Amino acid sequence: MKVNLMHGAGGEVMGELLRTITNLKNNNAGGIGLESLDDGAVIPINGQNIVFTTDSHVVSPIFFPGGDIGRIAVCGTINDLAMMGGRPIALSCGMIIPEGFEIADLERIVASMDAALGECGASLVTGDTKVLERSALDTIIVNTAGIGIVERPVRDNGLAIGDRIIVSGTLGDHGVAIMAHREGFEFGDQIRSDVSPLWSLVESAMAAGEIHAMKDPTRGGFANAINEMARKSGHGVVIEEESLPLRKSVRSAAGMLGIDPLEVANEGKVILGVKPEDAEAVLEAIRSHPYGRDAAIVGTVVEGSNVVMKTAIGGERFIEPPIGDPVPRVC
Amino acid sequence: MRTSGNITIRGIVQGVGFRPFVYAKAHGYGMRGTVKNLGSEVQIAACGERFEEFLRAVAKGTPLSRIDSVEVTPLAGEPPAGFTILESKAGSRSGFIPTDVAVCDECIADITAPGGRYEGYWATSCVNCGPRYSIITAIPYDRERTSMDVFPVCSPCEREYTDPACRRHHAQTIACAGCGPQLALLHADGTPVRAAEPIREAAALLDAGAIVAVRGIGGFHIACIEASAWTLKRRLGRTEQPLAVMATPEEAGRIADISGDEWKQLESRERPIVVLAKRDPDAHASISNLHTIGIMLPYTGLHHLLFASLSHPLLIMTSANLPGYPMITDLGQAVERLSGQVDYILTHDRRIVNRCDDSVVRDGFLIRLSRGYAPKRTPIDLGERCILGVGPELNANITIYRSGFAVTSPHVGNVRNPATLAYLQETVEKIGGIIGADYDRIVHDLHPQFLSTRYARELAEVTGAELLAVQHHRAHIAATTREECVGIAIDGVGYGDDGTIWGGEIFAGCVPDYDRVAHLEVALMPGGDLATRFPERMLYGIMPTEETRDLLASRGWSEVELAVLEKQVAKRFNVAETSSTGRVLDAASALLGLCRERTYDGEPAVKLESAAYRGRAAAWNLAFGSKDGREVFSTRSLLSEAYRRMQAGERIVDIAASVQYNLARGVAAMGVRAAEERGIPRVALSGGVAYNHAIREAIRAEVLAAGLEYVINKEYPLGDGCISYGQVVCGGSAER
Ligand SMILES: [Fe+3]
Ligand SMILES: [Mg+2]
Ligand SMILES: [Zn+2]
Ligand SMILES: [Zn+2]
Repeated sequence: MKVNLMHGAGGEVMGELLRTITNLKNNNAGGIGLESLDDGAVIPINGQNIVFTTDSHVVSPIFFPGGDIGRIAVCGTINDLAMMGGRPIALSCGMIIPEGFEIADLERIVASMDAALGECGASLVTGDTKVLERSALDTIIVNTAGIGIVERPVRDNGLAIGDRIIVSGTLGDHGVAIMAHREGFEFGDQIRSDVSPLWSLVESAMAAGEIHAMKDPTRGGFANAINEMARKSGHGVVIEEESLPLRKSVRSAAGMLGIDPLEVANEGKVILGVKPEDAEAVLEAIRSHPYGRDAAIVGTVVEGSNVVMKTAIGGERFIEPPIGDPVPRVC
Repeated sequence: MRTSGNITIRGIVQGVGFRPFVYAKAHGYGMRGTVKNLGSEVQIAACGERFEEFLRAVAKGTPLSRIDSVEVTPLAGEPPAGFTILESKAGSRSGFIPTDVAVCDECIADITAPGGRYEGYWATSCVNCGPRYSIITAIPYDRERTSMDVFPVCSPCEREYTDPACRRHHAQTIACAGCGPQLALLHADGTPVRAAEPIREAAALLDAGAIVAVRGIGGFHIACIEASAWTLKRRLGRTEQPLAVMATPEEAGRIADISGDEWKQLESRERPIVVLAKRDPDAHASISNLHTIGIMLPYTGLHHLLFASLSHPLLIMTSANLPGYPMITDLGQAVERLSGQVDYILTHDRRIVNRCDDSVVRDGFLIRLSRGYAPKRTPIDLGERCILGVGPELNANITIYRSGFAVTSPHVGNVRNPATLAYLQETVEKIGGIIGADYDRIVHDLHPQFLSTRYARELAEVTGAELLAVQHHRAHIAATTREECVGIAIDGVGYGDDGTIWGGEIFAGCVPDYDRVAHLEVALMPGGDLATRFPERMLYGIMPTEETRDLLASRGWSEVELAVLEKQVAKRFNVAETSSTGRVLDAASALLGLCRERTYDGEPAVKLESAAYRGRAAAWNLAFGSKDGREVFSTRSLLSEAYRRMQAGERIVDIAASVQYNLARGVAAMGVRAAEERGIPRVALSGGVAYNHAIREAIRAEVLAAGLEYVINKEYPLGDGCISYGQVVCGGSAER
């Protein structure tokens, strides 16, 4: 069998690929390792917990409404650290650049990286650059890795029954924005990516109450992330459709194309499982952050094993992890 | 001449009054001996001069029984004097359980006889009628294993139960006003309405226009008079959908043009909803805006009493559930979920153990296989393996094969939500439990995202059964015939071998090896399922032209929407490919301005059919091509022709009729050619589109005109209610 594009599309097919490439015996440095497939690893060193994560970024187009590949590359790593509860400290950056790439574009990308770093007080401290011939690569690839420190790591598997599920803002913005820009769809209102570094938002959320689990709904969107959180915790989740924050423009654009905004990527959102008593306080803390103004409590952790959405018309449906392209199923 | 023997009668012999029937015959022929029930067989030890006559008499069975075999072995030892009925025992379980049937004429007479023991009692029944499947918890069928167990019989009932001369001898559902289940009339919030006679009070409320939930045999209905139809539809949020009615026979005859066969169905024990052509296609538009109307006759004592008190001859009777969700069977749920929809609830305290929707029949074809017909048991030899077919996703049911019989469950619904998935699971457990299934093989649809597929995988993991995926339309054909055939499947959507969406397919071969030899032209579905909901999208998918764009613009599509649609199709962004017949009818319906949004199953296509009913079809030129070595009928040119004629001012109803007719001709031509090329003598037809009278008859005529045998299955739905059965047939034929 050969790798195909579905293997990178997130969801269940990608899960198969992940099983192959994470098949390592040496996968844990003493804390949380590769085996848990969390947002990052945790390595206890001299009583301190170091969080460590890495991410490679390929975006087409590299500049899009609301951001660019540089901002995504920094935010991706910072957010993965933040999802473990880690304060981001230092990042590395590896760039693979195709021959013929505009230097001016590189300058824009780097400036954008710097701005994102500045927002959360982290630094890019080491790097590597390769230039490949045109025939071998047709787009820039930016890899970042980062370390942070955390006192008590937050996992993505810690949902407990009764926990309230909070999302930090509108869902689907990044995925729909990229898609619209790439394919040239004009939806009337311009849709902007939500790409942003979330550390300070997460920091204030953690200060406001007890958070049992966190995950950022990137590839595969909310649908993928909430299913993974439910599966890893061994519980079910009930989501109220009407409480899900969706931008009108995103809802309408997705509606016109027949795609589910819950299944497309976000780059500046976090899903939190919060102790019920603390949910309101955490929600308040998130809402008072500029990136969290549209945050909402969207659901509850229950016994069971599925993610079920109570729909606006009084029905229920499963929210399933997307498996690549949706296939029509209505008779 | 034998004068004694052990008679073993196998089949559905339980819950159908078999032992009392045998007892009565034994009495009549002066036999001595015993009779006992072992689940799916009755064993009779009999001895007497007229043994042979007795044997012939008992081998005929009772009205509700199904006899598979009668076997006689020599009798060892002397039977006791007299004839006695012995206790039921579990025994073998191949015979299965009888279905719920309409109250019989004799019981109606009992209910209406003044001064009789059963006068006015709503739950009157006997060995020949009443609920069965809906109240049973386990077999053998005896009162203690039904939801009648909580109603101990009074002494007059006890006397009838034990009196061999009585029609209620061993009638497990025997009950009277003194000992049986009771009715109550409630406000929508569940608080009681003070009423001495709940039925009379409910009838008065209905007559005055109230909307009343009525607990029936297999679930709740929502009832109201015709004048309240709009109110009900608004409350349900289903303003377009036709609703079924229950009417007196006189009223049914006034509304609809009913053939002799249709009368037989209306009055049959199964008492389905029969979809009938209205005498005046425009009448009763608040109930149905189509040329058809679904009518059923009263089928329980409660219904008869309700109609006796009601001054209106007709009630709208729609099942109480969200579309695609299981019907509500429990009072608590009814109060919780129906409070915004109904004003009152007429309920009773007999628990509904197994949900069972009303069955629906049209032109003699089952649209919904449920109350009265299901669980449906078909003798078929599929070998030694025990096989489960979990069905597709929409309009699903399940079928279990074991030891020579396939058993298909009542309608389950759209397995797209947790409640219906749970119901599917429960149905598998219940019916599997009752017949003692232990699966060797589990068959599911090829669609990777169906919840039924996921359930099949999970169940296979637990049971260790092997899994088999069967393509949707092959299951359709397998459900139609096991002989070698050319199979025409005209349908909505089904996942195809090549990952595209099939639904207008011609196969050739023999179960389970059907080659796809021809199909409808592949069209685009912009936005996937979105194109099913908004048929104008499908129209553009089939005809992505400036003309279509202009037509949509004239219908109120904004420039933004049109530009997005155009780009989506040009870039193939989230666009599926389909050869579905249903989608072509949808697109034609959209083209002709008959339906812009589908608000219920099949809406665009049935609206097209209703328009076509008033029009006259003409034969158009048909265009065929080929793709990957398979013949293809061009639906694009069919719709272009329709568009051209519409521009030329031809009547919409005539174009509608012609689209159907020429689509049918195109499909039939491919089927006939495939049969002739391969020397296959028969053509089988299945798929939801085959319910369309004009299309079905046009295909039949073409097939017969070509001198080929035409095969269609009246025993199973043409739509997806046959899929689980077809899956099992494929599963029993596939070697692995
Ligand atoms: Fe089908
Ligand atoms: Mg985390
Ligand atoms: Zn009766
Ligand atoms: Zn009684």
